[in-house]
Amino acid sequence: MRVLPRTRPVPASVAAPPRRQFNWTPYLFILPYLIFFVAFRFGPSIAGLGIAFTNWSAIGTPEWIGWRNFEVFGRDPRFQAALENTIVFTAITVPLLIVLGLAFATFLDQKRRGRDIGRVAVFVPYVVMSTVVGVLWTWLLDKDFGLVNVYLGREIPWLVSQDVALYGIILATVWWNVGYNMVLFLAGLQDIPAELYEAARIDGANAWSQFTRVTLPLLAPTTFLVLLLTIINSFQVFDLVFVMTAGGPGTSTLTLVQYVYTVGFQTRNFGYASAVAVVLFIILIGLALIQTRLYRRGYSGVEA
Amino acid sequence: MSFSDIRQRYLQPLIWYFLLAVLVILMMAPIGWMISTSLKPETEIVTTEINWIPQTFTLENFELALDRYPIGRWMLNSVIVSVAATVITVFLDALAGYAFARMTFAGRNILFFIIVSMLFIPIQITVIPLFLVFSQLDLTDTYWALILPVGANVTGVFLMRQFFLGIPGELEDAARVDGATALRIWWSVVIPLARPALTAVAIITFLTTWNSFFWPLVATRTDEVRTLPVGMAQFLSLRPGMAQNTQALGLSMAGAVLAALPPIIVFIFLQRNFIEGISQTGLKG
Repeated sequence: MRVLPRTRPVPASVAAPPRRQFNWTPYLFILPYLIFFVAFRFGPSIAGLGIAFTNWSAIGTPEWIGWRNFEVFGRDPRFQAALENTIVFTAITVPLLIVLGLAFATFLDQKRRGRDIGRVAVFVPYVVMSTVVGVLWTWLLDKDFGLVNVYLGREIPWLVSQDVALYGIILATVWWNVGYNMVLFLAGLQDIPAELYEAARIDGANAWSQFTRVTLPLLAPTTFLVLLLTIINSFQVFDLVFVMTAGGPGTSTLTLVQYVYTVGFQTRNFGYASAVAVVLFIILIGLALIQTRLYRRGYSGVEA
Repeated sequence: MSFSDIRQRYLQPLIWYFLLAVLVILMMAPIGWMISTSLKPETEIVTTEINWIPQTFTLENFELALDRYPIGRWMLNSVIVSVAATVITVFLDALAGYAFARMTFAGRNILFFIIVSMLFIPIQITVIPLFLVFSQLDLTDTYWALILPVGANVTGVFLMRQFFLGIPGELEDAARVDGATALRIWWSVVIPLARPALTAVAIITFLTTWNSFFWPLVATRTDEVRTLPVGMAQFLSLRPGMAQNTQALGLSMAGAVLAALPPIIVFIFLQRNFIEGISQTGLKG
């Protein structure tokens, strides 16, 4: 009965080269990278997801324990503190970095003398390595001799009080990273055609409505990218915490990544640390999906 | 002269320069203070009186910092690791990015999708197995442990592919007609065209490796291998309120200056490449 397939004519394009040799060349081009990728990124990542379901630690043989690591979260106050601090940190840092990054970019996009000095000044902190930023800000925020308190004329116990320690780290983070966002926004601003501003001006739009009616809508793709990157980086905050407070005082600045480090590399409880990292992974994926969906909806709304 | 003329000619520039000055001063103050403090003797440091210019200049903080900490060694390690990692990465990414952009082969799209999707897996998931692998191979606390994983970065491949998608195909076609092999075309036709992309990938890779902290912190144990960011974290033992050493502030500011100045100077010279590289990728690591 099954005669049809055999008699069906082969499409010409497939039939043309009768016995072409398999082309290995593309695979030779990607092979060197692929070896590194599989050995040092893909493999370990998949293994990491697996280890989260084991009780692997420095002692004893690892066993598969299913979701038990994740069940422990419910009665682990340190994990809960880390999760909460990370969310608070992100909720405060991200809006600051976006608004200030955009404000500085818009300000320094004007064709006026001295703007390059401004751009360099805003970006330079980003070039300084995280641990140096940490050491520097630890001193700037010193209760007695720190520059910040001396100028404020107050004695705020920035990094030594549970109530404000996280804000000290936020302050340092904003100073350190705002230039990076500014550069991304500056690149986005270059792509907006000057004619649009021209047209808006002829229509009698003032600077503010030019900003809200022309700049903001046309900058939406850039803002989307910057927002995503800033959120991803904020959720992974570690370096400044490690240097400035090591998670303390108490658990007031303990973040998820700091907790992964402590559990994984100090306590050497690899399974539980991986489970904490998986939580971070789920949060990041979730946020990326939500954001992409919102963005698409907003975008099609504009076009419709 | 009408009021709007006055506003245009005098008032606007005045506001511009005022805001610009405020911005520059606020952003640069911490760095200025760091340099100023590093040059002060200890009696001038531990005071609530603000002197931006030291009354007496001294280099004793730098001498002490260099004497107590192997800063030179950390810096050398950072240079070796960053340069090696950058060279390897640029080579791997230029090869793979070209194939993903200009060649058709079975599994291309799915492979590329898998590679890019790794951007969403935080490195903390990756680092634990990576550490266990390098421990098994007895390669922790070596340059290898710091260099090799950089070669697996995703951003560079992504960038190179983007770039190669945009170049015209005529030159390659001409070379192909002349009977050149794929590798030859890549090396003598494509690579010379790719200078801007190669520079961007090189700068990004160098900067990320130079500043990388989490993995080097985990993977190193001794000063022979430790990179500058990890070494600098040792200054945390001088945290105010923890160390009772009155010289701590000048000392750690001297260390900070030594670590911070080289990249700042390089940045000011390479400013344009730098900013282009970053705005092209919009991604770290």
